Amino acid sequence: METESVAKQHSDPGHRFDPLFQAHYDAIYRYCARRLGVSEAEDAAADVFAVAWRRLDDIPDGSDRAWLFGVAYRLIGNRYRSRRRQIGLAARLRAVPGGAVASGPDPDQTRDEEVDLLLRALDQLSPVDRELLRLSAWDGLDRGEIALVLGISENAVDQRLHRARSRLKTRFSRLQSALSSIEPKEAST
Amino acid sequence: MIDLLERADPARDLQADSVRLRAKVEERIGVSAPLRPGSIAIRRPWLVAAAAFVAVLAFGLPVLLRDQPPSVFAPDLDGIAAHPGVEEAVALASGGLQVMDTDGGTIWVMTTLQNLLQRISAESGEVEATYPIDARVEGVVAGGGSIWLISPDHGGEVLRFDPNLGVVDSTIPLGGAPGWSHWLGDALWVGTDQTEVVQISSDGEIVSTVPGDLKGGEGLGYLWVNDPGTDLISSLSESGEIGEIVIPTERGLDTMSGSGIRQVSEADGRLFLLDGDHPWGTNLNVFDPDSGDFGAFTGLTFGLLDLVQFDGYLWVTSSTDHLIIRIDPVTGEQRRYPMPGKTGGLVVADGSLWVTLFQTGALLRLDTGADLIESSPIVADDWNRFPHRLLCTGTGEATGPTVILQPSDWIDYGSMSVIQAKLSDEGHLACTNGYVQGETTPEQQAADLDEALGEAGIAGPYLLVAAVDGVHAVRLFADGRDDIAGVVLIDPMPVGFQDFYDELLPDYSGHPPWLDLDADVSASLDTFGSVPLVVIEQDPQAVFLSPNFLESPGGEAAEAVNQYWQDGLAFYSGLSSDARSLVADDSGLDMIIWDQPDLVVEQVLELADPS
Repeated sequence: METESVAKQHSDPGHRFDPLFQAHYDAIYRYCARRLGVSEAEDAAADVFAVAWRRLDDIPDGSDRAWLFGVAYRLIGNRYRSRRRQIGLAARLRAVPGGAVASGPDPDQTRDEEVDLLLRALDQLSPVDRELLRLSAWDGLDRGEIALVLGISENAVDQRLHRARSRLKTRFSRLQSALSSIEPKEAST
Repeated sequence: MIDLLERADPARDLQADSVRLRAKVEERIGVSAPLRPGSIAIRRPWLVAAAAFVAVLAFGLPVLLRDQPPSVFAPDLDGIAAHPGVEEAVALASGGLQVMDTDGGTIWVMTTLQNLLQRISAESGEVEATYPIDARVEGVVAGGGSIWLISPDHGGEVLRFDPNLGVVDSTIPLGGAPGWSHWLGDALWVGTDQTEVVQISSDGEIVSTVPGDLKGGEGLGYLWVNDPGTDLISSLSESGEIGEIVIPTERGLDTMSGSGIRQVSEADGRLFLLDGDHPWGTNLNVFDPDSGDFGAFTGLTFGLLDLVQFDGYLWVTSSTDHLIIRIDPVTGEQRRYPMPGKTGGLVVADGSLWVTLFQTGALLRLDTGADLIESSPIVADDWNRFPHRLLCTGTGEATGPTVILQPSDWIDYGSMSVIQAKLSDEGHLACTNGYVQGETTPEQQAADLDEALGEAGIAGPYLLVAAVDGVHAVRLFADGRDDIAGVVLIDPMPVGFQDFYDELLPDYSGHPPWLDLDADVSASLDTFGSVPLVVIEQDPQAVFLSPNFLESPGGEAAEAVNQYWQDGLAFYSGLSSDARSLVADDSGLDMIIWDQPDLVVEQVLELADPS
């Protein structure tokens, strides 16, 4: 009976694809939205799952999520290379009806400024640093998953993440200092 | 900071419409006739094999198709596939030079070392079939529904290969040794050493023979030849007419090596012509058909092998420096991307850029828009001092010593380019000391390094990183200096190893020449004192005590070689009072710099910034 069951699983791709899609469609969609904007996120996510369908047998057991993120990472980099620099992505998301940030102004103005400043600091980092931080903080991947997505060792993830956070902090502080030095002048004029 | 970053997530509250997304997925995979996952790549070999079998039975054609021959060639592609910018790596039938072409969906690669033609799906990256070819082949052209194999055999001939049957079905004598070949219009064009271009129709008939010296590929709708009448670069149209466009150079783009144009490509409505190597590098020239202007566009590095246009940029391979160089055809801006080996030919297929690593024997699909490591801006490059080169990159904004990379002399100059790029990316100033060509000695290497650093104004402290027989040069360089901040030795070759090895194993002395150090000179050199030293060793079980090595020279000799090597490692570890050793797991001799570049980089960073 067990043999038949296994054989059935392999002859029915939907058996594996359906739960894969259900478990990860939202995360992959949001991953794409963060990097491309809402208008292109759905198509990109669909492309990712189309690749998954064709390569179901290649997806390592237990690493579904990281594998899908890896496909998304490469696919976005490849197909949308001309739009890789996502400067102003947050602004674009804001402009899209139904987008997360478009859901209404944040009542906490101070936090909004901090967030904007942080996003500017993030944009000043190298693509690799940005991707590491986003995969960790926004996509919620652990070090092993990030290693799989980026094709580097877990130790390298640790080291690079540590340095990327440090660089982000430095850039953020610099922007804060720059802002605070401008504001009094503006106030006095 | 992390909390703030999480809160800054612009898609935090987004939610996908699962029904609509699922519908889009089904659109892509075809709901009416869904593909069986993973089934695409395995269909064709059976079809081809079956068709060839029928053909052999029916027509008695020579049996050129058989099962893929057994091969001991098995490159470790793990490290290569994980390299930034590499989307996938396909193992080819062997190392050595490859020639290739594509019909868009299929890449045809001929490995000249073993005369094997491989059919590779550009969509899946699968090797669909491997065909032994009973000829030496120096060029592959896809066109007119056939694959054309250009061979120097029998005074020059073209073999027409039927991709459906998997057989050579026609042979066309050329009347001269072949040079460049290309498909244009509905014909194959092959240049010969008789300063002729032979036009061959898709049914294998010679249509015409045109006087001219064919160079490079297609651009602006023409092929390009050196016109023997004027020695000027002239267009060759698909109707066989020469000279509709003449590029206003004073002569052909001959260089000191006499190799003329290496390749041409069209971009931004202009024709770019790559000439051969000069001692100081290579020129990329540009011709504007509207204005008629011609001139040098930008200077490039050495060892350039191919030039294509892809995604709005020109892409050039440099085998010497293990680079792919991206050039903006409008601004001339260059970006240099280190690759994990000597880069060879380029093709564009299935919307991707592909490159061969011809030494390793691999075909790589590049992820050109993603995470390529870009070499930092060049700080110092003494390429005027051919053949010696000191190539320094990195901003140096990171505190710490300048990293000096000394590759093994016999591997090649560019072998540390990946490590150099990663160190540069971390803000360190990193310099590779090496030679584009020519023989040298450890003493010469050390002297050239010292002189070049002085000329470039790059003062110590230095952190020295040496691989294999590069260890001798860094010991000589460090002797008597007090500005050495640290040393990393990778697979350091013991003093006297070449003589020991050749005497013990005279039947196995056909190795590349290794640099060695005289034992008396070695004994006279200073130790590193208390300078931090890391010795990174290969796994001994993977090299001299591996089954392969044990079976060849025999167990006793293998043990002796291993013991000599281990004694050498102990010697090197004793050169500093602050030394430690690491074993690079799963890495063979001389392969650590390719297999585990991150391990080397980690150790260098640790020494460079102990805090």
